[in-house]
Amino acid sequence: MPDSAADLLERPESEIAETEIADVQQDELVAADLLVEEISIDGMCGVY
Amino acid sequence: MTGFDLDAAWRLHPQVSVRPERFGALLYHFGTRRLSFLKSPALLTVVRSLESEPSARSACVRAGVGASDLPAYTRALARLADSQMICGRTAA
Repeated sequence: MPDSAADLLERPESEIAETEIADVQQDELVAADLLVEEISIDGMCGVY
Repeated sequence: MTGFDLDAAWRLHPQVSVRPERFGALLYHFGTRRLSFLKSPALLTVVRSLESEPSARSACVRAGVGASDLPAYTRALARLADSQMICGRTAA
């Protein structure tokens, strides 16, 4: 699991497993439609 | 969701980073710590061109968004505005 969503942004795509993105999504699905899906990462990492 | 002015000038929020992906892009807001998944490469093109276009409508046209798709893209931009991923060009 990534340290944070920002961590996903800083790493090469080839190093990111799809399950890591799924883990982030599982934390809090705020809203979704066909074009935009939003999540909050508050409270998911505890590293800040 | 608030109303979105398609004819106003918009920009990516300065605290937002963009990571292009095969499905579109990931946006991360360092202030709100929220992530947005743009699930369309065309929407990424729209978001990226907001800064240089006089309006969100012209950014959509530049990205090749057709009239039939414009309502969906307007809703998507409204959602991005609500979550502060994009902001009015006069706002910080």
